[in-house]
Amino acid sequence: MNEALTDPVLIAFFLGLVVSSYLMFVDNGKKTSMLLMSSLSFAMVGIISSAYTYIIHNKMVVQGSTSFCSSEGIVQCGSVIGDPEWNNLFGVPWGIFGILSFSVLIFLSLCLYLDRHAKWSEDYLNYSWWAGIAGLPFVALLVIIELTQVEDAPHICPFCTIAHISLIGYVGSIYFLKIRRNMGKWSENEG
Amino acid sequence: MARRRKPLAQKGRDDDVRIIAGFVLGSILTVIMLLVVIIAPPATIGPSEGELAPDFSADAYNGVNWQNFKLSDTFDYEWEEGEDGEWILVQFIDTDCPYCWSEGETMSDLYSQWSGSVEFITVTVELSINNHDSDRAEVEAFRDKTSYGTEDNDGDGCNSGRNNCINRPGTAHNWNYIEGSSSIMKDWEVSGTPFLAILKPDGYVAWNQYENSGEDIESAMQRLVGGSQ
Repeated sequence: MNEALTDPVLIAFFLGLVVSSYLMFVDNGKKTSMLLMSSLSFAMVGIISSAYTYIIHNKMVVQGSTSFCSSEGIVQCGSVIGDPEWNNLFGVPWGIFGILSFSVLIFLSLCLYLDRHAKWSEDYLNYSWWAGIAGLPFVALLVIIELTQVEDAPHICPFCTIAHISLIGYVGSIYFLKIRRNMGKWSENEG
Repeated sequence: MARRRKPLAQKGRDDDVRIIAGFVLGSILTVIMLLVVIIAPPATIGPSEGELAPDFSADAYNGVNWQNFKLSDTFDYEWEEGEDGEWILVQFIDTDCPYCWSEGETMSDLYSQWSGSVEFITVTVELSINNHDSDRAEVEAFRDKTSYGTEDNDGDGCNSGRNNCINRPGTAHNWNYIEGSSSIMKDWEVSGTPFLAILKPDGYVAWNQYENSGEDIESAMQRLVGGSQ
């Protein structure tokens, strides 16, 4: 089995995704709360995995390699996060973009979680939706870069993939929230 | 008769939770950034002395063929001040720039003196000037001193098309010629060619031409790298 896939940190992130997914699909009579917690959980996994890729980026720049992620095989970080041509956007590491983007998503979900009946809640739900959707083309771009552009492509960076799945999961949970809102099931006692 | 009450729509909380959410997010970000700085502080990257040289990955001509070249692959991250190690001389040129044309001889002289202790790297770029278009064939001819263009000032060849590349001053250059780009120039803050920088073996900039107008490259090499061969 690829060494990178047995990394304890990667397994912890994977468990985070499993918990987030469980919250999205569990039906215990408090579906709206569960979906809001799911979106928050996905965004938290996303921001932490983005920070982890930024740590790997800094290690790669200063030390040339890192024990935080494998640099060999198809599933690895070295050739993806260590590629100076593709590991940044306008000189800013992708990890920083991830941290900032997931910060916005956490803020929106947290506001909704704390007060889903506020006057602004419908607007914030729409903002969450559109902010999540706006990130998807970047996920597609980064996957294409991993598979076709980096040195000795294709490669798959596992921690980057965790962040990508987190965003997709976030969009999924917001999608189900929008459906509940449109069906008039926004309050727990209505659904 | 009892009146039926309309069901009340649920109201939000009186306090604005957005402020609370902002504080929570601020705390999360503070913890995350503190951890990043403690575990892996970001390096100061740039072409100035004391900064880590901007990395690049591009195709390079080695005298036989074009292969991928990554600057950081030449760094020795274990190197410490005072130890022996291979220093790196980075030169930016435009094969059509007259000063780069004449600096060809200087580079040949430097190589003959320091090739054992210094890795030579030339990054070729195209300045946005008329007759400064260059292709791979021109870069290869400039490096190898082979025939390309004519001695007529017809825009064909090296040195803004004034010369056949075979007549470049100096000997053939036996080191990698990198296919540069505007983004590499931007990262290195190169505003004109030729530009020279000396890197320590660990990739940190030891000498930048723009910061040492009073010192020529030979003196800088002598001072930093030490005795020539």
